Amino acid sequence: MRYETVIGLEVHCELATDSKIFCSCSAHSYGAEPNSHVCPACCGMPGMLPVVNKRVVDYGMKAGLMLNCHINRVTTFDKKSYYYPDLPAAYQTTQWFAPVAVNGLVEIETSKGKKNVRIKQIHMEEDAGKLVHDIREDTTHVDFNRTSVPLIEIVSQPDLSSAEEVEAYLERLKTLLRYARVAECEMAHGTMRCDVNLSVRPEGSDKLGVRTEMKNMNSIEAIKRAIEYETSRHIDAIENGTEVLVQETRRWDDIKGKSYAMRSKETAGDYRYFPDPNVMPVVIDDKWFDEISESLPEFPEVKRERYMSEYGLSEYDSEQLAKSIALCECFEDAYSVCGSAKDAANWMLSEVMSNLNARQMTYDMLTLNGKALGELITLVVDGKVGRANAKKILNAMFDDASVSPAEYAEKNGFVISNDTGLMDSVIKTMVAADPKAVADYKSGKEKAIMAIYGKCMKELKGNCDPQTLRTKLIEYINSL
Amino acid sequence: MDRETLRLLELLNQLKLTEDEKKETFSFFEDRKADSCGLEAIDTSEVERMVHVMPIMTVVREDKVSQPFSREDLQSGAPETDEGYWCVPRVVE
Amino acid sequence: MYTVKFDTDAKLKVVADSMILTTDSETNAGSKMLKGYKSLLESEALLKLKAAGYGLCGKTPVGEFAIDLLGETSVDGAYTKDGALMLASADAVKTGDADIALVLDVNGSVRRGTAQSGLISVKPTYGTVSRYGTVPVACSGETVSLIGKTAEDCKNALSVISGHDDKDGTSLSDELCKSALSCGSVKRIAVLKSMTEGADSCVKAKIDAFVNALKENGIEACEIDDTVIVKSRAAWNILMSAELCNNVSRYDGVKYGYRTENFTNLDELYTNSRTEAFGQLLKTAILFGSDTLSTENYMKVYDKALRVRRVVLEAFNKIFGEFDAVLMPACSKMVYTEKDTENKFLSYTENLYTAPASITGLPAVVACGVQLVGKAFSEGALLDTVNAVCKEGK
Repeated sequence: MRYETVIGLEVHCELATDSKIFCSCSAHSYGAEPNSHVCPACCGMPGMLPVVNKRVVDYGMKAGLMLNCHINRVTTFDKKSYYYPDLPAAYQTTQWFAPVAVNGLVEIETSKGKKNVRIKQIHMEEDAGKLVHDIREDTTHVDFNRTSVPLIEIVSQPDLSSAEEVEAYLERLKTLLRYARVAECEMAHGTMRCDVNLSVRPEGSDKLGVRTEMKNMNSIEAIKRAIEYETSRHIDAIENGTEVLVQETRRWDDIKGKSYAMRSKETAGDYRYFPDPNVMPVVIDDKWFDEISESLPEFPEVKRERYMSEYGLSEYDSEQLAKSIALCECFEDAYSVCGSAKDAANWMLSEVMSNLNARQMTYDMLTLNGKALGELITLVVDGKVGRANAKKILNAMFDDASVSPAEYAEKNGFVISNDTGLMDSVIKTMVAADPKAVADYKSGKEKAIMAIYGKCMKELKGNCDPQTLRTKLIEYINSL
Repeated sequence: MDRETLRLLELLNQLKLTEDEKKETFSFFEDRKADSCGLEAIDTSEVERMVHVMPIMTVVREDKVSQPFSREDLQSGAPETDEGYWCVPRVVE
Repeated sequence: MYTVKFDTDAKLKVVADSMILTTDSETNAGSKMLKGYKSLLESEALLKLKAAGYGLCGKTPVGEFAIDLLGETSVDGAYTKDGALMLASADAVKTGDADIALVLDVNGSVRRGTAQSGLISVKPTYGTVSRYGTVPVACSGETVSLIGKTAEDCKNALSVISGHDDKDGTSLSDELCKSALSCGSVKRIAVLKSMTEGADSCVKAKIDAFVNALKENGIEACEIDDTVIVKSRAAWNILMSAELCNNVSRYDGVKYGYRTENFTNLDELYTNSRTEAFGQLLKTAILFGSDTLSTENYMKVYDKALRVRRVVLEAFNKIFGEFDAVLMPACSKMVYTEKDTENKFLSYTENLYTAPASITGLPAVVACGVQLVGKAFSEGALLDTVNAVCKEGK
């Protein structure tokens, strides 16, 4: 018999706000000293009251709209109770009754073509703290820095059927949320985490099989391996009766390549949700809704198409730029100043990319001022700055976003002078200093001239038009 | 309310009652149940639930960071800390 | 000793009960769990009083998380005088140790204690006084309140503590808070017959005396029947217990407070810390609250209580169409003895009288041993009325 795997995902993404969802502590917990971003509320002390961070709602809405959801115009917060050391107040404030967004749709593309994945809902909630198990053998250490960092949980319908689709779906979520600049979605940083709900059924059947859940998966590769493993474990159980499948939460051990049933309490899952009396309903009026809708970026496909049709870029270049909203914005700004989409794209995909690589920065970390890049491109195109010096200027612009290319060129003597007299005298000196190269050139070794060319360029500090220098040098040697 | 339900409630709320306490708790539940009979008589099918008594909406704050509390102070009353962490017996995963 | 006393040079002295967090003294909320607990933040209402020249002269004990009858479950012990149970905060005012008591009214002990002491208390309209810096128990209805010797003392202190606070998401606008303090007098008062029936003769006599005093002052008082408001208690007990269960789950022996010595794993640490530190009333209330929120009960118990809350408020508002305030007892008898507390759960029935104002957030003024519940934002008028009518405490 042939089987199909039915997968639904719950994806948690940390929202990229400055402060936490209900208190004013910094939300940037990654890599911070333990318990350095905490207040009485974060450690479960009595007395503070939750006040919702507006930007969390902004981002929740943006995420909802990017995923084609319906936005609930009245959205409320609820308390979910359970005991665990990473949950200092023994309750998590989340959205149970009226989440910010519902009924969405995400299109994914795999080797089998395009497919829609339905989104059940997106809700806003607070993250839990972090437990550290490797400091002392008998003790778990508790860090509340991550407590109350805002999250969205994106709950899909069980519309996925393979590891490949899951990967495509997660990549798509990442791209869309990064496009809207609401979340970093970096699994390695824990800013994107994933629970996988999986069951197996005979192909064509409309009855769902026994579902197991694997929690807190934190790399796409691990998720793919876990799905393959769970699928064959389920099929094995169904076909060969190797074990009886039960609805349960399992832990994926990526090193051993196996999943294990987690010990669960008798009372697990009894969360006693109820509306939080301390948090008033959030009403999203038309003004707020329109403000958020209008702030949304074009979708990646729309940008790619537009770069091809409107700017005449190649499909490859368009695709590369559309990978990141940061690249797109920088490119569009540069183009708006320099007026040539091709030049702007070339600079983005060569010099800007290599700077990012050299600095081990992701595309989304790009903070380069696109307008300034446009000015730099113009300086080069107008022959006012040589290409080698332009790269140095770009480097400085990466270090400091406030650098003005024109001023920087001026200050560092990178401006090409029209003084051909200087060029002539430098050529004369350099040619006189290297009679061997001249002789070689004259005997037909054309490349020999490059050594002298290089020395001239160096002496002129790069401030000359390469073509003019070349022509003048050849003319001079030929005249000897 | 039966013994099994009570046992699960104790488990869920990290409490352990003595036999006497259980007995009194059973009678407490009975009394509350009797009291609640009056509620059933009220027709609420057309009534919206009321979580907040004041009809104010959308209380939000700006996304601004302020951290006036120090870890030392926050941990000053802690039963056990180590290297800036709170401590609990090892949680087996 | 009923109160921790501090020296203060201030002309006006305030005691705060142990639900009001203070940074320089212990706030234990009446629980062994928080014995010795010092807060890092201070109650917004207390800070406002201090800024206005009031000096904190002491902290008074409360029953464990302020849900009991009159403080008898306090970790600091029950407070009695001549065999009668007393609310420590009220007695601090009565004896003249303090001019005003700043307290958290969770389940009516404040109003019962005030009625007994013959003092005046005001539970302002929900949302007009910040709850920032109070120990949370039943957040949807508990209110920072005041006990004083005169209505004027209460009104003066209330005008200091009322006002918007950004740190409390349920706090109302300054404009609304101010409107609650406006002067005025009530003209027609409804006497809730269904409430008075179960009270003893002393309480009934207080009601009668108050009605006479009203009439002497040209205020009309009519007896009315009601079948809904009396049901507030059952609904409030559900809401209060559920919220309590959730709010006190944070006390687990890990971050601060009491930790058991008797544990080998996390589960034992949690369970033994809580079991050893919590008293019977609290434990039972937690379990009851938890049960109302179970998947099986949520709709028929908790959700039902939320809907009844609206029905009760509508019943009040219907009365307010004709009357300015509702008169009812604050308790069923004027003296409670320690014998009464043999029923550990008496507060869950005695709150018959206090639950209506708690569940609706309506203002309640206790004076001359009786209770007036008014329209939202009418506490100023209620206090003025009491000031004119009440001979006691003048």
